Amino acid sequence: MKGVTAALLAAAISTGASAATDPRTVPTQLPPAWQAKTRELLKQAIEIPSVHNRGEMPRMAKLLADQFRAAGIPDSDIHIMPYEALPGDKTAALIVRWRSPKATRKPMLVLGHMDVVEAKREDWKYDPFVFREEGGYFLGRGSSDMKDGDVATTMAAIKLMSEGFKPNRDIIFFYSGDEETQGKGATLASTQWRNLTDAEFGLNADGGCAAYDRDFRPLGCGISIAEKTFQTYFFTTHNPGGHSSRPRPDNAIYDLADALERLRAHRFQPMLNDATRGYFTERARQEGNSVLGEAMRRWLANPNDGAAADAIEANPLEVGLTRTRCVATMLKGGHADNALPQSAEATVNCRIMPGVQPKDVQAELQQLVGPKVEVKPDPNYIGVPTPASRLRPDVLAAVTKAVQRFHGPAMRVYPVMSTGASDGSFFRAQGVPVYDVDGSWGISPEDERAHGLDERTPVRSMYDDVLHWEMIYRALAG
Amino acid sequence: MRHLLAATALAALASIAVASAPQLTSTQRDMAHAMFAHLINTPTVIGRHKVPEMAQYLADQFKAGGFPAEDVHVMPYHTGSATTGDDDTAALLVRWRAVGTPSAKPILLMGHMDVVEAKREDSTTDPFVMTERDGYYYGRGTIDMKDGITAITQAMINLRKAGFQPKRDIAVLFTGDEETNGIGAKKGAGEWLELLGHPEFGLNADGGGGGFNADKSPAGFTMQTAEKTFAGYTLTVRNRGGHSSKPRKDNAIYSLAHALDRIEAYRFTPMLNDTTRAYFEGRAKLEKGPLGDAMRRWLDNPNDGEAADFIEASESEVGLTRTRCVPTRLFAGHADNALPQLATAMINCRIFPGIEPNAVKAELEKIVADPTVVVTRNEDNVASLASPLRPDVTEAYTRAIRTLHPGMPIFPEMSTGASDARPFRVAGIPVYGVNGAWVQVPTDFRAHGKDERIPVQSLYDNVVHWQMMLRDLAGK
Repeated sequence: MKGVTAALLAAAISTGASAATDPRTVPTQLPPAWQAKTRELLKQAIEIPSVHNRGEMPRMAKLLADQFRAAGIPDSDIHIMPYEALPGDKTAALIVRWRSPKATRKPMLVLGHMDVVEAKREDWKYDPFVFREEGGYFLGRGSSDMKDGDVATTMAAIKLMSEGFKPNRDIIFFYSGDEETQGKGATLASTQWRNLTDAEFGLNADGGCAAYDRDFRPLGCGISIAEKTFQTYFFTTHNPGGHSSRPRPDNAIYDLADALERLRAHRFQPMLNDATRGYFTERARQEGNSVLGEAMRRWLANPNDGAAADAIEANPLEVGLTRTRCVATMLKGGHADNALPQSAEATVNCRIMPGVQPKDVQAELQQLVGPKVEVKPDPNYIGVPTPASRLRPDVLAAVTKAVQRFHGPAMRVYPVMSTGASDGSFFRAQGVPVYDVDGSWGISPEDERAHGLDERTPVRSMYDDVLHWEMIYRALAG
Repeated sequence: MRHLLAATALAALASIAVASAPQLTSTQRDMAHAMFAHLINTPTVIGRHKVPEMAQYLADQFKAGGFPAEDVHVMPYHTGSATTGDDDTAALLVRWRAVGTPSAKPILLMGHMDVVEAKREDSTTDPFVMTERDGYYYGRGTIDMKDGITAITQAMINLRKAGFQPKRDIAVLFTGDEETNGIGAKKGAGEWLELLGHPEFGLNADGGGGGFNADKSPAGFTMQTAEKTFAGYTLTVRNRGGHSSKPRKDNAIYSLAHALDRIEAYRFTPMLNDTTRAYFEGRAKLEKGPLGDAMRRWLDNPNDGEAADFIEASESEVGLTRTRCVPTRLFAGHADNALPQLATAMINCRIFPGIEPNAVKAELEKIVADPTVVVTRNEDNVASLASPLRPDVTEAYTRAIRTLHPGMPIFPEMSTGASDARPFRVAGIPVYGVNGAWVQVPTDFRAHGKDERIPVQSLYDNVVHWQMMLRDLAGK
């Protein structure tokens, strides 16, 4: 799952330099020989359709493993871990350890995922699983989510190895095979496979932090250090039912509709944490004296100012950032057109603020809808609340230095909270802080095509991302 | 679909002279018993492919009873829908031709051969093995409505054997999917109308009938002359959707929920017609207390909506004072982590006879009052009509009932459910539910339910009832 920070900010910028150079036309700093290797690996990665249930993940894992092996990582430090994600989806994860000859610190974990979201040939202009380069872009499913990150993190390591760089801590690479569906790989890696993955902190390559708007103004680089907890609940109503020619006064569908009306009107308590405080501080600076900017300043000054938080939440750019949000996403009810419903069920998807327990949200929802409606969490996925990771100064410094090398000081770096869930959450839940710090970027919103049609990434973004990760490895493990 | 009498006591129609009741011979009783057992033991549930077998059995019985093969037709057809599943079913069409020039257009006798599902584990005895116990026949279809099929068939065979010669044609249509899709009845009122001889009116064994109270006092018989129109509507809301981590202000599910809340609060305008007026007049005469008072107030002043609301709220009268619409199914969304792009609700309406389903669609749109909630119709049914009370049918029915049950009150009935009668009424052929079976009320109201049963004597009385009806209506 790809971060959406850039899209959020795209329409919001009111300050910044006037029309600048098209960042896509700036030459990459990656040497031509490494450009060729990078391009070839990305091509091979995109042409493996590693969609769930297609059985392609072992091939994808082998492709990356082969790169590490060829660069000198011994087989004993390369583990392809097969597992089942969705029922019947035989997938695999890859774990690689680049050992430090003389480790002075706890290992550092680099995370990514090898699976991609389904893409249909008939929906796309070109075959999504045939690599293309066109108009300054690499195209294909996974070009931005996130085979570019897989390639950049791998290629940067290989490049450093070829230059004789010796890390002063082990660097562990973990690439999961079901981030887009179940997140089971990350669950296993953060628990059962912890002996292979244990680290001081994690750096997630899932989603570039930086973006430009259409006028090529830098929008900033948001490092996700926290994410909301994903939890689905089912609202269920029951009724004896009967023949529809003789309606009863009580009706399972009406009871459910009443509950949904209440849910629509309900607002959870606004909350601030380190990630959102950092984010809104930066946003308030960008917004200047706009109404939205003023509301942000009021709320930062007084976290109990609910009216200010409500004004922020109501802005389409800030939805979900001030509090827990729950929304009805699916309905089913009844069993025949001519029978009164014996049951009705709504699926309510919640994104819970970091640190809040899903069972407390359940209790709040139950109280909201009353005793006629049963509120139960989805038994197939019980969300584990994750604390916001404390933004480490060394990580912030390393990322800032790398980002500003390619984009200049106007590309500011700040923390954000992600409203979606990614593999990072499973590690955060187990006490390993994770930071989303990939160096890829795009033009917002045109290049925001993760999960969508004609997915693409700028050629320069791909190449510079190799150097971005090289700088980060050097800074944090050198 | 069987709707037996739900009231406890009813008013009488005009007094009709009755004769003493004829009896079946023991041979005729044995024949009726054997046929009934054969039919009950044939599980004509949708999906079990048993209706063609039953139709062939009945066809063979008619032919053995002297009906010429060219006037007995087993018509196979397919039935199915998304909600009921599919089956290869069949109808039986029989024509008993008048001797000489017919005195009038044919009389159509109607029934259905299919039954609703019954599960062995839900029943005391195997529902598809007829069991005789304590004066009852038990089994699926004993009152809905293999009793009527047996009675009509046996009555025709007995009359023919006795030398009866109809003065007008008697046509028979037994359908094979009344409980599910009603395709047989549509064909009967359409492509098979020629084979049936364009009947003047229909007598449906899937309606009418009567009962006795537990203390053996007569509870009354009904004659079904009207039924509400079955019409399905779909409420559809579409939305751009998006990622569920970023809820939009507009949401297809919330818009739909709001529309449903408005439908919940809405009351259609109360209406009376000849059938329900006669029904409530009968009910009001015997109903003491606030319900009877409300009936009397409403009959005095059809604009007394409060009285009509009070009646409608009574469990025994639901659906009789107006059009009713109720949501029966919901579907929305495509993933738990995506905002819904589509939300739909099925609204099932039972429309007062004579009101056009398109008018109810317009009314639903007004109730919902949200242009983003689109109302569409699920089928193209037209308004069902009440059949005018024909003196000849009313008299024949009354005479037959009172011959068997002297002094029995009889009253007209509007069914809230749908039956095979609808397409015929729509095609201008009035249909009367005039079966002669009786049960003990309310303990024997088990159509579609558990341990369905009929008193043994009721089955034999029903054969006699149909013999009398046919002699009366086709004998002159």
